[in-house]
Amino acid sequence: MASVSLPKLTLHFLLPTHSPKTPFCLNNSILHKLPESQFRGLKLSRSSSTSIPSSSSVKTSIFAKVTQGTVPPAFTLKDQDGKNVSLSKFKGKPVVVYFYPADETPGCTKQACAFRDSYEKFKKAGAEVVGISGDDSSSHKAFAKKYKLPFTLLSDESNKVRKDWGVPSDLFGTLPGRQTYVLDKNGKVQLIYNNQFQPEKHIDETLKLLQSL
Amino acid sequence: MRIPPTTRSDPSLKSTWSHRAWVASGCTTVLIALANSIMGAAESHIWLEPILAGLVGYVLADLGSGVYHWGIDNYGSAETPVIGPQIEAFQGHHKWPWTITRRQFANNLHALARTVTFFVLPIDLACHDSILLGFVGVCSGCIMFSQQFHAWAHGTKSKLPPIVVALQDAGILVSRPQHAAHHRQPYNNNYCIVSGVWNEFLDTQNVFGALEMILFFKLGVRPRSWDEPNSDWTEETETSSQVALP
Repeated sequence: MASVSLPKLTLHFLLPTHSPKTPFCLNNSILHKLPESQFRGLKLSRSSSTSIPSSSSVKTSIFAKVTQGTVPPAFTLKDQDGKNVSLSKFKGKPVVVYFYPADETPGCTKQACAFRDSYEKFKKAGAEVVGISGDDSSSHKAFAKKYKLPFTLLSDESNKVRKDWGVPSDLFGTLPGRQTYVLDKNGKVQLIYNNQFQPEKHIDETLKLLQSL
Repeated sequence: MRIPPTTRSDPSLKSTWSHRAWVASGCTTVLIALANSIMGAAESHIWLEPILAGLVGYVLADLGSGVYHWGIDNYGSAETPVIGPQIEAFQGHHKWPWTITRRQFANNLHALARTVTFFVLPIDLACHDSILLGFVGVCSGCIMFSQQFHAWAHGTKSKLPPIVVALQDAGILVSRPQHAAHHRQPYNNNYCIVSGVWNEFLDTQNVFGALEMILFFKLGVRPRSWDEPNSDWTEETETSSQVALP
């Protein structure tokens, strides 16, 4: 189910940090731009990993469901208007699928607004943006309306898609992870980016990749 | 609906004999701890460890003040058992921050002094270790006086004693600009009010943000700082404002 990571926990007490709002014990940035890895089922990270699988996922499988180069499992979820939306709808163009903890929380609001503010750049790159959390359609509708979000928000109420895709939790399983996937026009994953406490970085990293696709 | 204490003679800002008694008892328990620590150190000629323990107490008091301040700023209400009045007082403080400079000394400190009395008296009676007493004496003393340091952080430089300004500028007491940042949007930083030494770390590492997310997902409670500033947070200005200026 969720990937097994090789965590390297570092305490950054009283060390100067160049980036604000990094978590106190975890460097939360994982970039996956590896070619299809022979180490199938392991998520190898360049920097310190935060991907600590929740205990339930460790019991079921150590193999990652979604890694760079693979085609993720299909899903159909309700959007903010209650309409069913399938992943297959986006085939033929790149799509940014970002999993976030919850509507109306500070990090998720920053992230959604950052995607909104750069939406034109995503459109220029021919890409669509889709946000997924466990909130229901009415929560998404209110969230999208309040912050004038121009993209689709999908409701993964039982967190099934989150589990199917292997999105790792943070802080020893207490927080749903913040992980973004960039799928190319063939539906293959070209980037997986994880960063719980620097949400705006998801926009920078995904745009960087899209502009190179 | 809360009514602001607007005049200097407002009775809610004045010290009562009950307030003075609690401050006296709090100070007594702290002084006993410190005195016993010093006497123990003198008898054993071991000074370094009790002094270091005192230093640790001073540093941890700042962290403790931040955690407690974050908790009562963001959770609970006036109806919460035991600490409801403190929560209401802190909400009132955000609305009318300058009034803390008009509170008389014992009025300002009595709630903390009462807590210190309850915690430190048993330790004074049971403990004779100069290192532990050094830690407890300094830590509890700093916590008890944190409300005074807090009041000074709301003061105007020209009206504060020069020694206080010097200690603030040296980072030994929480500074006026650092605490002023806590009273600005988004009201989610600079919670520590002893020396403020922990503020930069706690804020840059988003420690309280992480704790807020954990509490939200585990208990479903939203901290007050997440929502749009409403009238509870927003400062009411007065004609001769006492808001701290650097």
